[in-house]
Amino acid sequence: MSVTQNSSLVCSSSREVGTEVLRFHKNPLLFILCLAVFVAALVSFPVVVRAEVPNAIPPVGTYDGEDVKQPIEFPHYIHADINKINCMYCHTYARRSKVAGIPPTSKCMGCHSIIATDKPRIKKLTEYWEKHEPPPWKKVHDVPDFVHFTHEKHLRRFVFDNPGMKVENVSEVCAFCHGEVKKMTVAHKVKPLTMGFCRRCHEANNGPHDCWKCHK
Amino acid sequence: MNIDKLKRRDFLKIMGWSGVGTTLAGCDLPTTVTEEEGKETVTSYLAPEEFVIPGVGVYYATTCQECSAGCGVHGRVREGRVLKLEGNPDSPINRSKLCQMGQSGVQTHYNPDRVEKPMIRKGDALTEATWGEALELLDSKTGSSSGLQGNRFAWMTQSVSGHQAVLLNAHLEALGSQNHFVHETIHNAGWQQVSHDMLGDANPRLRFDKAKLILSFGTDFLGTWVSPVHFATEYGHFRTSPRGVLIQVEPKMTLTGANADLWLANRPGTEGAVALGIANGLVTKYHKDISGLPGEIQQLIKSYDLKRVEDISGMSGEHIMRVVDMLNKHSPSLVLAGASAEGYEHGYESVAAVMLLNIILGNVGTTIESSGAFPFPQLVAKTGNTSDLLAFAKAVDDQGLDVVFIHGANPVYTAPDALGLKEKLKKVPFKVSFTSFMDETAAQADLVLPMASYLEDWGTHVVAYQAGTGIIGIQQPLMEKIYPETRGFGDVMIALLKMRNAKAYSQYDDYYAYLRDAFAALPSSLKMQAGSEKEFWNQTLQQGFLDVGRTKASLTAKIVNINLPEYAQNADYPYHLVPSARLGLWDGRHANLPWLQEAPDQISKVVWDAWVELHPRTASKLGVKEGDLIRIASASGSIEAKVYIYKGIHPDAVGVPLGQGHEEYGRYAKGRGVNPLKILDPVTDKKTGELASHATRVQLAKLDKPHDSLVRFGGSETQVGRKIVATITADQYERVEGGSDHVA
Repeated sequence: MSVTQNSSLVCSSSREVGTEVLRFHKNPLLFILCLAVFVAALVSFPVVVRAEVPNAIPPVGTYDGEDVKQPIEFPHYIHADINKINCMYCHTYARRSKVAGIPPTSKCMGCHSIIATDKPRIKKLTEYWEKHEPPPWKKVHDVPDFVHFTHEKHLRRFVFDNPGMKVENVSEVCAFCHGEVKKMTVAHKVKPLTMGFCRRCHEANNGPHDCWKCHK
Repeated sequence: MNIDKLKRRDFLKIMGWSGVGTTLAGCDLPTTVTEEEGKETVTSYLAPEEFVIPGVGVYYATTCQECSAGCGVHGRVREGRVLKLEGNPDSPINRSKLCQMGQSGVQTHYNPDRVEKPMIRKGDALTEATWGEALELLDSKTGSSSGLQGNRFAWMTQSVSGHQAVLLNAHLEALGSQNHFVHETIHNAGWQQVSHDMLGDANPRLRFDKAKLILSFGTDFLGTWVSPVHFATEYGHFRTSPRGVLIQVEPKMTLTGANADLWLANRPGTEGAVALGIANGLVTKYHKDISGLPGEIQQLIKSYDLKRVEDISGMSGEHIMRVVDMLNKHSPSLVLAGASAEGYEHGYESVAAVMLLNIILGNVGTTIESSGAFPFPQLVAKTGNTSDLLAFAKAVDDQGLDVVFIHGANPVYTAPDALGLKEKLKKVPFKVSFTSFMDETAAQADLVLPMASYLEDWGTHVVAYQAGTGIIGIQQPLMEKIYPETRGFGDVMIALLKMRNAKAYSQYDDYYAYLRDAFAALPSSLKMQAGSEKEFWNQTLQQGFLDVGRTKASLTAKIVNINLPEYAQNADYPYHLVPSARLGLWDGRHANLPWLQEAPDQISKVVWDAWVELHPRTASKLGVKEGDLIRIASASGSIEAKVYIYKGIHPDAVGVPLGQGHEEYGRYAKGRGVNPLKILDPVTDKKTGELASHATRVQLAKLDKPHDSLVRFGGSETQVGRKIVATITADQYERVEGGSDHVA
């Protein structure tokens, strides 16, 4: 029950913010005051300014998943954050299929037959490649078999068919369900991915409400 | 709260509120609906093909092998797994449709009871072995140095065609043996023989679309006859604009019978007499010209007057004359004969009498056409029958065989007990089973070779009945083998041939190489559309078949002598056993597929079991009700099963379904129901030598065992006045719709 109450609080507060925006035009002093508070907040907390996803209200809910031991401790932060590689460069199937897909080993080796070949993780990767075996990755994010979730449709709604949304910022959309993976090494489950989690987002963003959309 | 004092209203209130609580909280309970992280491995591709996208299906064409109709199939493959089979829209056989057996192909493929490794008999038990050991054993028993030669060797197979048949023949030739027994329990050998003798074509093309009336003597063309999916589409054409009339005459209602406008039950075995009686009616009432027929046949038709046919068949004269009237009114027609006409000592004569009707009615050349000749006769199917089963049993009994290779057939299950095949097979010193499942025959084998499923194997198929087309159906693997130790049938054939004729076959590493070579050798006129050999091969694989055309030919009409016996009662065994086949379990080969066990019988709606079908009159005579156990005893044995009572059966007939009663064959089939084939008398058709499958007479006895319910869908044969399907009488229909042309 507590989560449900939280969600209603969030919904109502977001509506209040909307009305505040209207008042800025009437009272410039209020705007300056708010700006001052915002700048003060930025200075006091080293928060990274996150790119906005227009026309979207992110789903609400948190989860503290287990630390999953992977065959190679893949550093998402080096790829996605430091080197700014787009999520969909490796998870290329996300925009084409229901699954995002673990990238084929050939994709890793496309870069890593040249880059960072002396690093222990890459040496391990090369061992797998030479054995003609993909690393046995462990699944972190999953929904039950009776749930039909498709990455393709969600990316279409929030990225490709979303006016004003930049494809470069796709990681913000991925983060709706996967959290800030670009700050992680191996993926860690931080969103509950329960039906309630899905439903709240569908309600907030006017997603389909029919049972059979997900349960076919 | 004291639970005893809880009122219904309070109970509902509590349930309502707790239900709301569960619904609200349940959506967020991670333990019940989410998957645990880090438990499952998710394997990526090493280096995928460009067109492969995980989660998106790719479709491949192949040919169904669940029966011998050879329907074209499209399989949806995702992440290297075949997930779903559908009919190939381009296939002239099934035109995008696929029956429940075809759909269940994935259960044959993913079946948990697949034989995974070769097995060699050591004493009483079969023990797992390697292919190396298996091939070494095969070489020592059948290779060049084994000394095996001539008819001491035999192949026992199901219907076989295409390049597998070519290799099989080459193997027989290499061993100098003529012993190829081709066995199918569900066959139309009688029809083929009569068509061959009277029309000059064993598999003439049947033009359902041209016929305005079909009179069928137990031909279950919508269920089990020749090519059911093909005929179902043809039947669709026959039933639309203008609507054709279907009349079915048979002792036990089949799926086709259930679709008929007029269903008539004849006394079992009297189909020939009924056909001659109808011919008599056409001559006497409508003056059909039969002067072209031989004198004795004219005399024969005259001798079967209405009174005589009524006496023999137990049908009313009014019904017979109604059929005559309709045949006269709706022309052209098509008259067919199926299993319940063929399965007697005089089966051939009955089918000949039916074919005679086609000749008298002028159907030959109109609704029955020549199918023409297939340009590559060596590829055309050798269709199975039961005369080869009898011949096989005799060869085994005579100790004429040293080595038997068995592929696709399960003779220990399908042979009547009276043949004693189960015991006699021990006389054959070396029996090899090429199989995917441990069936009754494989359990007796000395060497079991695990076969790849048809969705993992290469092959070509040329079915015997092709409607105006000449196609080679292509079977290609849709995925990697589930069990790496299984091998394709063609691959093993190549290995066997290398043992006898290394020189001729050394150029082929496997069956795929052989097929590529065979297709390269096809005449260039077939490859006009393709720019290269590779393109031709890829086009053929994509289409799923290769159309090679047929030459045109015409039918002849030759009258054979017909000599029907008088109907005889049997005081000791007063009832006729009708072993009934259905699209589903077929001859028992699909009893190991749960989907087909779960799919109810089309008539009785029974699932997962066998039963004894009785007419209500017979049931009341015996004093039994549905679910009671009774014993059915023939001169050759007895079985016990639960009673099912239905009006769609002749009071003298007892229907028992084929397919159950397996002693082996995996967890879903073993020890379930009874097998009516076991108690068949070893009687044969005098002309064709086929096992007279419907000639067994039986006695019935109620067993003093507790009543048990028969598990079946429905529970009522009527709508109990609920008007779920609205019906009106034919008279009303005529009055409302006007005219009687639409009404049978």
